[in-house]
Amino acid sequence: MAKPKRKLIYDEISQGDEAASVSHALTRTDLVAYAGASGDLNPMHTDEVAAVAAGLPSVFGHGMFSMGLLGRVLTDWAGVGNLAEYRVRFTKQTWPGEVLSTRIVVTGKRESDGRKLVTADVQLHNQDGEIKLSGSAAVVVA
Amino acid sequence: MPIDKNEVVGKPTGAAKIHIERGPVSRFAAAVTDTNPVYTDLDAARAAGFEGIPAPPTFTFAARVFGAFAEDQPPDPTGGRNYMGEVMGMLMAEGGLVLHGEQEFIYHKPVQSGDVLYQEGKITDIYSKESKGKTMTFLVMETVFKDAAGEPVVTERFNLIHRK
Repeated sequence: MAKPKRKLIYDEISQGDEAASVSHALTRTDLVAYAGASGDLNPMHTDEVAAVAAGLPSVFGHGMFSMGLLGRVLTDWAGVGNLAEYRVRFTKQTWPGEVLSTRIVVTGKRESDGRKLVTADVQLHNQDGEIKLSGSAAVVVA
Repeated sequence: MPIDKNEVVGKPTGAAKIHIERGPVSRFAAAVTDTNPVYTDLDAARAAGFEGIPAPPTFTFAARVFGAFAEDQPPDPTGGRNYMGEVMGMLMAEGGLVLHGEQEFIYHKPVQSGDVLYQEGKITDIYSKESKGKTMTFLVMETVFKDAAGEPVVTERFNLIHRK
């Protein structure tokens, strides 16, 4: 049975604490790699000619790529295997050339079913502050 | 023409037996920009408390693509009907876009390479809203991944939004 190592410590966490923000410049290659690794081959993400013919300015990113990116920052913060809940709303599409940055802010902590949990609001936004996805997460801590 | 909600709510979206393997997991981690060595190095994964390569948080959404082997799939609960596809097809025929609106993961147990998960999905709701002159139709689905003992490992909920 896997027993992921806990990284964060309950007593050291307070409401309002923020994880360090991480930024990623989105490229078309990111979308091609994600399309291959996820099986989502929708041409709107990988075929610029098709996307433009459909009236879009360019290909746009998979919402699930953004969720995966933010998920990476969450597991870097709390340790791999310590996510209990993770939910987002996809608010705006992402476009190659944008710089996407994460925001994770602690909203509370509680003990539940013998586990210590910390909850946080989570967000991914671009260089102009436009929010791409918005949601929440709960992580297991020591 | 409005969709008949009673026709699709409760209908299955599918079932699959999914083998979690380290190759697809490692590629997926790289594709979401995660360079953590636990995703490529079994020694690092074990040091972090795992028995296999752990799956990144959103991996189960894509797991079926690589892990459903043709020879050992469960019977198709839809009887061959793709209810989600039919509803989306009806909506897309009216024009407009279909977008992924929301996605949720509840993690009951860790997912790691070597696991075999049993996936079952169903449509849980469909409703429409008018907003700024546009009609938005929401299709809500729930997918549960269980282990061989029938215990839930991951529960996913998501909605698709058709907007015209």
